[in-house]
Order: sequence, then structure tokens, then C-alpha cells
Amino acid sequence: MDLAKLRQDAAALLADGRAGLVIGFRERAGACVPAFVTDADQADALVYDDTCIANLAAYLRKPEIRQRRPVALVARPHVMRSLILLKAEHQLQGDDVLVLAVGDDTYHGVLTLAEAERLLNETYADLATDAQVLAEIERLEQMSPEERARFWSEQFAKCTRCYACRAACPMCYCERCIVEKNVPQWISTAAAGHGNYAWNVIRAFHLAGRCIECGACEAACPQGIPLMLLNALLAREARDQFDARPGYDAEAEPVVGSWNKDDDEGFIR
Amino acid sequence: MSPDTESAAAPTREHRNIYQPIPMTVADRRDETADVRTLRLEFPGDAERTRFFEAYRVGQFGLYGMPGQGECVFCVASPPTRTDAIECTFRQAGRVTAALRDREVGQRITFRGPYGNHFPIEQWKGKNLLFVAGGIALPPLRAVIWNILDRRDEFGKVAILYGARTVADLVYKHELAEWDARDNVDLVQTVDPGGETDDWRGKIGFVPAVLEEVAPKPADTIALVCGPPIMIKFTLPVLAKLGFPAADTYTTLENRMKCGVGKCGRCNVGHLYVCKDGPVFTVEQLKAMPHADM
Amino acid sequence: MKILDASKLSDLADTLAGAGYRVVVPVQDGDRVRYAEWSPGATIRTDAFPVNSAKDFLFPRSEVIDRYQLDGDDFTPLEVRPPAPRTVLLAVRPCDAASLAMLDTIFNWDYEDDLYNARRAATTVVPLVCTRADAQCFCTSVGGAPDSSAGADALLHPADGGSRLILEPLTDKGKALVEAAGGALADGKAAPDAPADVPARFDPDKVRAWLADNFEADLWDLLSYACLGCGACAYACPTCHCFDMQDEATRTESVRLRNWDSCGFALFTKHAGGHNPRPDQAARWRNRVMHKFSYIPERFDLVGCTGCGRCARLCPAGMAMLEACTRIEEEARKAPAHES
Repeated sequence: MDLAKLRQDAAALLADGRAGLVIGFRERAGACVPAFVTDADQADALVYDDTCIANLAAYLRKPEIRQRRPVALVARPHVMRSLILLKAEHQLQGDDVLVLAVGDDTYHGVLTLAEAERLLNETYADLATDAQVLAEIERLEQMSPEERARFWSEQFAKCTRCYACRAACPMCYCERCIVEKNVPQWISTAAAGHGNYAWNVIRAFHLAGRCIECGACEAACPQGIPLMLLNALLAREARDQFDARPGYDAEAEPVVGSWNKDDDEGFIR
Repeated sequence: MSPDTESAAAPTREHRNIYQPIPMTVADRRDETADVRTLRLEFPGDAERTRFFEAYRVGQFGLYGMPGQGECVFCVASPPTRTDAIECTFRQAGRVTAALRDREVGQRITFRGPYGNHFPIEQWKGKNLLFVAGGIALPPLRAVIWNILDRRDEFGKVAILYGARTVADLVYKHELAEWDARDNVDLVQTVDPGGETDDWRGKIGFVPAVLEEVAPKPADTIALVCGPPIMIKFTLPVLAKLGFPAADTYTTLENRMKCGVGKCGRCNVGHLYVCKDGPVFTVEQLKAMPHADM
Repeated sequence: MKILDASKLSDLADTLAGAGYRVVVPVQDGDRVRYAEWSPGATIRTDAFPVNSAKDFLFPRSEVIDRYQLDGDDFTPLEVRPPAPRTVLLAVRPCDAASLAMLDTIFNWDYEDDLYNARRAATTVVPLVCTRADAQCFCTSVGGAPDSSAGADALLHPADGGSRLILEPLTDKGKALVEAAGGALADGKAAPDAPADVPARFDPDKVRAWLADNFEADLWDLLSYACLGCGACAYACPTCHCFDMQDEATRTESVRLRNWDSCGFALFTKHAGGHNPRPDQAARWRNRVMHKFSYIPERFDLVGCTGCGRCARLCPAGMAMLEACTRIEEEARKAPAHES
């Protein structure tokens, strides 16, 4: 990948004022962490490799980041999908962001959101779900409901309700999350038992048809809860049942929240 | 894997749960405005009542709660000179205040307190007092006012300026009338322009402007200011300009709190805990604080 | 000298569990290592940093602190006395043991929290000296050490090149534990291994001096850009003690819960009326740094951080207290604090 060109482009964007901020990655103690570059001469700190899995689109909900619009983001295909989806959900204007597009070990240059949408559909139209995740989903589907419930109870028991999953997800942009609503109280606040179950499952449902499977939530979870098993399963259902391909069409209506007279009503009994 | 409940070191003193409140009975309730209500609360017994009034000094706060709903922080709105019950006045804003508001006479709520510091009124003997209050922030000063009036001879002149958005928003209307009728209290009431009614006999104007017009001389006078942040923000400079020293000007901070006892960590302003070092601060102290929103 | 084979740590755990202790040890759990209650068959891992801190067992993430029976419009208080099982924190990190000074202080500095104190009184703390450290470790920058006995009732020293452990009792609780360990320990001799080399990375006094003068510094924006406002750091932190209180009820019973909370959350300080004294992430992250390195030192004469580095290891956004402090010290060098 042409990292030098990426750095050069980032510097140029800042130097000529096309971007007020470049968000990418830098190396710290052997790990990649998000980098916030405001001066052209800092662009050389930018790095990129496969371990850079944080979804930088999540930063676009922070007011102090939005203040610096237009913001240029280092974005792999999944992150580009997040941006397209944010636009489809009216959280972004087309000229709010620029994309420093990376993918398949290639640097694709500086793209507008419209250009990123084209690149996605031409080159990355089939982003497969992680094979390991699929295999694990299959294993869970073979289980009896009791076994499966036990599996998830054990996983959710670890949840401390730090909400790192929510924070890491670009699509969790609600100003007041359902877990913080107390009139009525939908979800128990105790980091235990049914409250943890409810929180994690409700979050997955709120992302049904909206999750672009970037994996940032699972990577963010300090406790190692396999959140992508839930998200990928619901993504598969949304795809199979409703042809949902979130993040490929900035004009698309959300699966949950739109209605079509041809929708299958077979599940209503 | 059931946890062993045996305790290795047996506690040497009685187990106390500092988060456990006492039940209080609603003895009376009064609507101050459309959404502000006062509850009069009686203690479960003489022991609890005595324990409270041995500790209570004016300016302190308590946590008022409903099991199943939660707790809310308000000042104790009645003075330590009236020891048969306590009062609190609050606006309905959320789940807990809605539950408290719905309590009927004879029903119970929970209470913890008194917590926090207090107004140093013992140091004010012989001094004049100026009270400046806005809207729903009269209750903390009302407790001080009655405390002073119940010991009227020990203090100098008492001036009160109270303003609200509209006439309907003035709280403690019957007490305002009582203070107005006293010849040893100088009460000025004001409402924001447009908030007056046809028979309104008070001033029309914002508190800071009216203050500039009616304020007493600053000599030997303690000023107490409670009101919405915007009122405080514009009133403090007026007091300063009139010559009230920052060290003799008092206000209260109302940060979000949960525990009330210096543990839960959310009310701090710098290294000070509003629940322990406050809620009463002088303006001089506020000026030394980072970002006290003044 | 009481010694045991390093590979026999699980035997010691078994023996102590048999003697009535709830034994908390670092164990493998899925792909993480965490402090958990020992159960036979678990794999003890002293070579990896646990994701949780030892505070979990003294100040649990959710706890019932008050309870009522609901009878229509009335209620009856029920007694709340959470279990305080006799517990040993075995082979925890010295930086976890050191954090107890902070927790003991906050839960007792004025009002005494007997819920915490009952558990604390029943807990024996046995840290394991660190012979390895990683890039996020900075205990030596905040008054700690990889072989510190702060907060310890007994200390485990790796010895003979990691093949043995020496158990050195330091307090009565420690001696009682050695007694309870009985045959799991042998009398013998072993040569303690050198503790890990953890270079000092910054001077907390210099950081504190800069903080005192720089509440409004532009650096806070820069330092907090990456923060996404979750509670991962606070919940992993051994000294973070902030909590929320929430009521939950069925038709017949209500509980008042104490749940961990974090100053990183936007709602933490938000008033019912909508006003928020810490309106952005810069103000919230500043509070986190100030609290640990300025407010706590000023108030309690302690540093509110033990340098465990969990915040940096776990943060999904790459925030790190170590990096913030070294950056602040750098800033302090550039513009020395005003001498007064």
C-alpha cells in the first residue's frame, strides 16, 4: 500500500484547507491507535495496516470533531459503508467528509462520499462475513435453545456496561440511548443477569439491517464478548429476508423504518 | 459456588448503612405554582427528629426519595428554628419528582440528611441581610429568612428581592404577603416584563436591574443570592458594583449528586465536593474555582 | 521461608478454598485473563495482565444497597447486608494492592461505608511481585513498584528463575493465610528473582503543578479528540470509584442499586434541567486526569493512579493515562509553571 501517498494527500488536504482535520492511525507501543492530525507537518505519523480496525466514522458524532468539518477519514471499505449509511440516515451531508480510501492493500486516493460509494459498488460490492464468525454462528444454530441461552448467559455475564461497544459504533449516534431512558425503564441498570441480556440483544436489534459488520464493537469490548455473532446473524437475516445491503446506497431507506406493500407478512400470526 | 457469607473479622460496632434513609410522613402538601409543590414531612419518631435537629443548620440539603423510583436532592426549605417537621419545595422534572409530587397527606417518602455545609448565620449577628432570589431558587433562602425572622432581634435590617418570570411563577405567595406586611422586612417583588398581571403591584423588570435600583447600602451587609444560572451570572456583577464584597456574598451550587456523602464522585468542582464542601459558597470561593459556571 | 513450586499455585488456591476462603486469582477465561473466583480446573495465568482490577471484589460493579417491600402506596424497609465472604486476592498485581489505599480512603474519609468496609475487613491481599512489565506499565512513575508491598498482607515473590514462589507474610491476616495454606507450602530456601525493570516515565508532582495552572489549556482538546466517551477505562481502573444509584422495582419489591459510573459519560454530570457543567469530552477527560493527579493529591495526599496501564491496554480509541501524563510533563517543560 502506498502509505507515502496517503501521508502526502493528508498533508495536502490540511495545507490547502480542504480538510480541517484528518483522522487516521498512528503507531503507539506496537499498536495502531486513532490519530488526529491538524497540521500538515504531522501527517508523516500516519500508518495503516490490517490491525487498524477501529471504525473512525464513530468520531463524526462528536461535536468537537464536527466543528472541524470537512473531516478527512482513513477508511477501509467497511468504514466507507458506515459513511454512506450515515448519509442515508441523514447524519452526514455529502461534503462533510472526505475519504482517504484504503482496501485490499491498496490506497485508492482522496475520494468524495459519492466517489467512495462508486468505489464500494464497483470494487467492494461483496464484503463477505468473516468465515470464523459464520462457522461459530452455524455451531450456535445447531444448539438447543437451552444450550444457546446458556452460551449467551455466560457471555453476557461478563458485560460491565461500559458501553464501549456503543461508543465504538458509528451507527450508535442516539443522543439518549434506550439504556439510559428511565421513564419507563426499559432495561435494568444492573450489570448482571437479564439487564445485560436485554442491553446486548436490544443493541443488536437496533442495528439489524444497519450493521455493516466492521467488527469495531467486538474489538472494543474489554471483556471479549463475541458481539459479532449477534450482529452478523441479524445482518444475514436482514440480507436474506429484505435484501438489506446497508452502506451501498446513500439514498436507500432503512430496512427497519420503511414499509413496502410487498413486504412478507407471513410472520404475523 | 455459593459465596461463603461468614465474615472473618466480626465488625466491632453496629453495622450501619449510610445509604439507608428514614421514612418520613407527608403531613401537608401545597401547590406553589402549576408545577412546584411543597411537602411538609414529619419524622417517624422523636429519636429521628431529635437526631436531625441536633445536626441541622440552615443551608444543608437532603435526599428525598421514593422506593422504586429513586432519590432527589433538594435543600431543606424550613429553618432549624421550627423543629416539629421539615419542608421541601421542588419542581416536577423527572421520575422521582413525579413520584414525590403524587404522594398524598399521610403517605410516606424516604429522607437522608442533613448533608453538606451551611450558611454561617451565627457570624452574622448584628449584620444587615440582603436576600436576592429568582424563581424556584427561593426555597434555600426561605429557610434562612425564617431562621433570621424567628430570631429577629439578633440581626440588623432584612431586605428581600424576589423575582420570577411571571406572577404565576412566584413561590410561597402567602409567605411573601406575610413578609410584605411586616415592618421589619423590606420585600421587593418583581416579574420579568410581560409576566405581570393586571393587579400586579410589584416591580416589572429583571432581577439584576431591579437590584441596582433598590439595593440597600453594602456597609455591614451580607448578601445571599440564589437563582437560575443566568440570573446569578448577571446579579453578581451588580452586587460587586454596588460594593458588596465577594467574601460577604453567598450562593449555593446545585450540581448533580447521587450519594450526598462524598463518595459517588459526580458533584465535584475542582477538588471540592459540592455535597461536602458546599452547597454554600461565598463568591470569593467561587472565583477561585475552575469553571464554577458563574 | 515458605515456598511452593510455581506450577502448584492452583494447589494453594485449592487448599485455601478448602480452608474457607473465597480465592480470587487471575484465570484464563475465553481469550482474556481476568480475576475470578477460583474453581478447580481453572487455569491460573500470572503472565498476562487481567482485564479487570481487584476492586471488583470489594466494590462490585452492581450492588443492592437498599431494599423495600412495596405495599400499595406504602413500603417497608428491608435489611441490606451484602455478603462479606472471607476472601483472598491471590497473585494479584502489586498495582492492584496499591489501589486499596485509594478505595479505603474514599469509602471512609468522612462517612464510613460499611458495605465496603465489611468486605475489606474480610479480605486478605496477596500480590505477586512482577518480574515482567509491558509498555503501558508505569507504577514507578506514581510511587509504586513492581515489588511493592503497599496494601499487601503477604507477598508472593517469584524465585529460582520463576520455578518457585516465596510466600512472605506481612500482617496478621497474612500469617493466618500461611497457616491456612498448611501443606500447600513447604519450608525451604529459594532465591528471589529480580523484579521487573519499570522505568519512571514522568514525575507526578510536575504533572500536578502543570494541572494547577492549566484548567483552560488548549491541550485538553488535543488530548481528548480520540475519546469516544465510554466507561472502559473507568471500569478497568483499580482506583476509579464513581458510582450511580438507581432504583428498580417489581410490583412487590424495590431495590436501590449502586452501579459503577464514569466521568467519561456525557450524562454523568448532566442536570435534570439540561445544563451540563462538563459539556464536551475535553472537559470530561480533563476531569479524569485532574481527579487522579490533582484533586485526589490535594484532598487526600495520595496519587489517584497506580500505573497499572489497564486504561491504555483496553481503550478501544487509544486513550492512555501514561501518554497524557508524559505529554503534560513535556508541556510543563516547555512552559514552566509560574513560581509564586
